[in-house]
Amino acid sequence: MFGLTTIASPQGFFIGALCGLVPLGAGLYYRQWRAGVGGFLACLLSGFACGFLGGLPTILMSYAVVLSYAYVNRQDPFTSRAALEEVNFEETRVEQLQRQLANLGRGIRTSWRALTRNRAGFLGFLGIMFFVVVTVFGPLFIEYEGAARLDRRQPGARSLIAPPSYEHPLGLDWKGRDVLSHMVHGGQRLILTSIQAGLIATVIAVVLGSLAALLGGVVDSLISNAANFILTIPSFPLLLVLASLVNLDSDFLLALLFGVLNWPTLMRAVRAQVFSLRERDYVEAAVALDLGVWHIISREVFPNMISYIAVNLIFTIRVAMYSIVGLVFLGLVPLSEPDWGVMIFTGRQQGVLFQPQAAGMLLAPIVAIALFQLSLVLFTRSLEEVFNPRLRSGL
Amino acid sequence: MSSLTSSAPKLKRDETASLLIRLRRLTRSYAFRIIAQGLITIWAVTTFTFFLIRLMPGNPVDTYIDALMQQRNLTLEEAQRAAAGIFEFDPDEPLVQQYVNFLSKLVRLDLGKSITKGGTPVLDIILRYLPWTLFCVGVALIISFALGVLIGLAMGYWRGGLLDNVMTGFASIISGIPDYILALLILIIFGVQLQWFRVGEVRGGVDPTIEVGFTLEYIGSVLRYAFLPVLIYVLASIGTWILAMKSSTISTLGEDYITVAQARGLSERRVLTSYVGRNAMLPLVTRLAISVGFVVSGSVIIEEMFQYPGLGRNLFVAIAQRDYTTMQGMFLVITSAVVFANILADLALGWLDPRVRLDKKVD
Repeated sequence: MFGLTTIASPQGFFIGALCGLVPLGAGLYYRQWRAGVGGFLACLLSGFACGFLGGLPTILMSYAVVLSYAYVNRQDPFTSRAALEEVNFEETRVEQLQRQLANLGRGIRTSWRALTRNRAGFLGFLGIMFFVVVTVFGPLFIEYEGAARLDRRQPGARSLIAPPSYEHPLGLDWKGRDVLSHMVHGGQRLILTSIQAGLIATVIAVVLGSLAALLGGVVDSLISNAANFILTIPSFPLLLVLASLVNLDSDFLLALLFGVLNWPTLMRAVRAQVFSLRERDYVEAAVALDLGVWHIISREVFPNMISYIAVNLIFTIRVAMYSIVGLVFLGLVPLSEPDWGVMIFTGRQQGVLFQPQAAGMLLAPIVAIALFQLSLVLFTRSLEEVFNPRLRSGL
Repeated sequence: MSSLTSSAPKLKRDETASLLIRLRRLTRSYAFRIIAQGLITIWAVTTFTFFLIRLMPGNPVDTYIDALMQQRNLTLEEAQRAAAGIFEFDPDEPLVQQYVNFLSKLVRLDLGKSITKGGTPVLDIILRYLPWTLFCVGVALIISFALGVLIGLAMGYWRGGLLDNVMTGFASIISGIPDYILALLILIIFGVQLQWFRVGEVRGGVDPTIEVGFTLEYIGSVLRYAFLPVLIYVLASIGTWILAMKSSTISTLGEDYITVAQARGLSERRVLTSYVGRNAMLPLVTRLAISVGFVVSGSVIIEEMFQYPGLGRNLFVAIAQRDYTTMQGMFLVITSAVVFANILADLALGWLDPRVRLDKKVD
């Protein structure tokens, strides 16, 4: 997916270390040791995971955080403690950039604090991070076993399946392959496709919802009726039928299909929100001040909806994962290993379900999916705090 | 006398006028509009599936003709004739004509014949499997709704108590896990590992060796086979009911009439049941009505997992075997159920909450 399907690589480690020098240097320069080292580690990890794609944005973010500790706004008479006559309101380009970066850094710090404040939510965040770290860094240490390993048959055993042992912590599957290697390699595609599906549904919902509310009239009734229409059809059976008609050989197509079927709930909420926001005093004030469409959307309307949209995105990702694993479970999409869903499917198909010693092979993906879904649900609690403008301003 | 005769035509005119007024009142009424909307939705979904199946790239009719040619070594024309016989349409006919034929049959409740099951009418297939799903999912819905409302009410009323803390955690965890994952977990942990029940014996709807009839043995067997699916449906859905009822109860507790009821010295039980409970349940009743619609589609995966002879599993079988006429018929039934449930929900809401009704009437 957009080059994000990455597995940690040794080159990434150096890229990350290289990127980390920027916040580290900034930390030294501003004498903010802790922030500098934290930034270095963040860059190292994200660069390690995604190469330049992860390293470069993290440079910006960690630098902003370091800067936000040290930055003093000279224009602000309260923080700079300068006499009003001494304040120079003429701001150079560099100073403006610094101010914006410091604002960004402060925002990141507040978000982080909000994230860690809710215990259940933070637990969910850690759960998600656990799966991300395992699927991204795991492949570096554990090699994928794709081919059958007939040599592992125990003397006298009827199948290759083996319960957990010291060498294979999760046991062996029906082809004698290490279950742990499948777990480590099989999550990435599922998680990425689910995220993709959730994003597509959210984008469609937000765009159509805003259009319906802002344009009104024919467009509004057209979109609303389409939404009601889709809401009436049970979406999972429809997805099954469509999956049998369309050859879903690409993950993106699957995500797109899911997105097209799952936008109406959020669309209705966005539409209602924009409708009510249009009438609010502060929006009317902004319109009266002629602050421009972009300012109104990004400063007045968007912050009020982002919390709801983010929480809904997480829920959509959850439902997407449910549907995708369900499709795989029923064998209605082309199967390709390694994949958690395929592990369950083949396990059931091979009749492994009824063998007590095969618990590792089936339980591993089942527990992983259950824990990931649970983490997503818990994480929404933190997200509400991160994005809620009322809670944030209280900090 | 004369006044009586002269009043007769006048009366007639009055009657027609009042009929018109009544008719207009009917078309303007809340119920009529909702039902009309529902019927339009059903028509739209039917049309959608009709054209979807015929215009998709992997056109089922062509696929079926291809399959016939390959499997039975038929010529193209023979295969086309065979396909036309089963799909009950003339492939040379224009699509609009086919559509009109399809609709006219539909009005007479003729859903066509199954492709794979030797020409069994689709309606018969549906009527055969529908009761199983209705029974299994319906019982589960009733249990989870009743239990969820009771627990949620208690949690909201004694907020912060032991029950609240324990059940909030339980409800959030249980509602976060997909139903089929829950089913697999129960099967593996309690069935395979702990051997509380025989995993091989819980497949199907009823023990096939027992004779069909109103005997105690037969009913007992049906209940025994339905136990696990019902348990899983209940576990998968009860969390949402609990949390919804809890938040609804909490917001109801803040209302003035609760304070008044307490101030009047009514017993705690009376306040809890007649004042808090009844009002807090209002938003849940509409949700219940909507869920009733989704009973019919059941859960495809759970039914497939337990080989339960319900509509969901047979929809999957029809999809897997590319039995398009059955698929189309089942889809129609599933959607109609949702539409009627929505109508029910709207009407129930209008009946319970007069504001909804009156608001819409004002033009």
